[in-house]
Amino acid sequence: MVTHSRAPLRAHRLRPLNLPRPVDIALDVHGQPTAVTEDGDARAVVAVNEIWRVNDEWWREPIARRYADLVLEGGAHVIVYEDLTTGQWFAQKP
Amino acid sequence: MTGIRHDHWVSGDRNRHLARYRRPHGDATLSSDVAACVWIPLFALRCEERRRPELATKPTAILSADNTRRLWLVSSRARRFGVRPAMTVNQAVGLCPMLTLCEPDPVYYDEQFASLVSTLTSISPVVEPTELGRVFVGVDGLEHLYGSPERQTDAIVNAIGAKRPGYETLRIGWASGKFIAWVAATRAKPGCPVIVPDHERRAYLSPQPVATLQIDSDTHRLLHQLGLTQLGDIARLPEAALVSQFGKEGRRIWQLASGATSDPVTGYVAPSPIVATLDFPNPIADRTMLSHSIDRLVERALRHPRRTGWRIQQVRASADLEQGASWMASATLQDPSADAGHIAAPLKVRIDQTPPTGAVEKLTIAFTEFVRGGDLLQLFARDAASAARAGRQRALRAVVNEIKVRFNRSGLYHIVEVHPWSRIPERRYALIDYDP
Repeated sequence: MVTHSRAPLRAHRLRPLNLPRPVDIALDVHGQPTAVTEDGDARAVVAVNEIWRVNDEWWREPIARRYADLVLEGGAHVIVYEDLTTGQWFAQKP
Repeated sequence: MTGIRHDHWVSGDRNRHLARYRRPHGDATLSSDVAACVWIPLFALRCEERRRPELATKPTAILSADNTRRLWLVSSRARRFGVRPAMTVNQAVGLCPMLTLCEPDPVYYDEQFASLVSTLTSISPVVEPTELGRVFVGVDGLEHLYGSPERQTDAIVNAIGAKRPGYETLRIGWASGKFIAWVAATRAKPGCPVIVPDHERRAYLSPQPVATLQIDSDTHRLLHQLGLTQLGDIARLPEAALVSQFGKEGRRIWQLASGATSDPVTGYVAPSPIVATLDFPNPIADRTMLSHSIDRLVERALRHPRRTGWRIQQVRASADLEQGASWMASATLQDPSADAGHIAAPLKVRIDQTPPTGAVEKLTIAFTEFVRGGDLLQLFARDAASAARAGRQRALRAVVNEIKVRFNRSGLYHIVEVHPWSRIPERRYALIDYDP
């Protein structure tokens, strides 16, 4: 049996930043986001800067997301994505 | 610090109606739209004449504190011989053999000026010193106490005691806003204040020379090249023309020249300094010893009970030299600090660059401006920036230890890059415990 080294446990622990937050997204007929609702606060989308897809890590837990870079009314800048495996939408800071 | 002192300033009924409050950024600030500019030209020379009245009848000059081979201030009698500021002593004595040269005594000038400012606070609580010998007094509401502007300026003259030796050259300008009051003071004669009523401000400014604007020499030269010699020439131009030529400064120039803006007097808050002094029975001139003494004095001043909870923004070192001269250096810290090394560093640089001109008999360190440091996290953030720049981790360790003692954990984290180019945003950065 290996004796306890009595070395202090590592205090360094990574904590993820910018975790995605679930949001509701209203879409137009072309599937473009038109409004973002978070915590009951709905804000219209005034500009869609960019849309892109990410398909990754198919060898373990597949990631399939459709991202959109949005400008909301009032000037807020937000990244939203649709989890294509569940259909749920999330928001993140740019 | 301002918050503390203002309570005292406006505590009396008399002062209550003299000034109104503004609250920019949450801080109470005394201000006054109407200003009286109190100006004593060549203030340092006047100070020398106050303690040595015989100088008043002689051509006199004060040597520069930075370079004692050059002149700093020159009396009008010396000017008649062609002596000018920044001349070398050899040149000046060549032009005027009977010239009396004075060693600079900045500590004495500063004391005299502080006394003048203190005197003016008996007239109005809104007092703003701008440079040695020039002070703006806010006079909003003084009509209730003294009456007309003429009576207000009389009250100022009486308070200062313009009949006292050295202050006969006192000039006063009274107007709405500091700039017009300053222009009026430059046009005033001793004993005859110039009062500019508000409805005459534009007409008064119009014939004044462009030199009254406090702008850099390049802009002055450019205005001259454009044929703009009077403020009226500038005011007649469209504001947009000045802005396109000089940018933001052009807008300010146009607004001042046209009387479109009146810059209010902002109340001066006299801080109660924390002072530490060291007497040298055997005067010292060695720079290393002086630097060492500054370190010790700063540490001693930091231990003063009144300093607790405050960081230092401005520090001043002064020295009494042999043969009655003095030396002074002050520094404003960009990052207010409670770290002795950080506070002493700029003073030691001054010791190296412009050392005292003689052996030091008494050295004094004074903390003259303070910034509240009671908020622990704010203290951490501010001191982290300055300490890191100086290569020091001691301040950080102290703060983290203090937080750990109080909360059993620091709760402080670094942000570290994990996969900064990841296409998945939440994988780019992470928090990690901060442990300096």
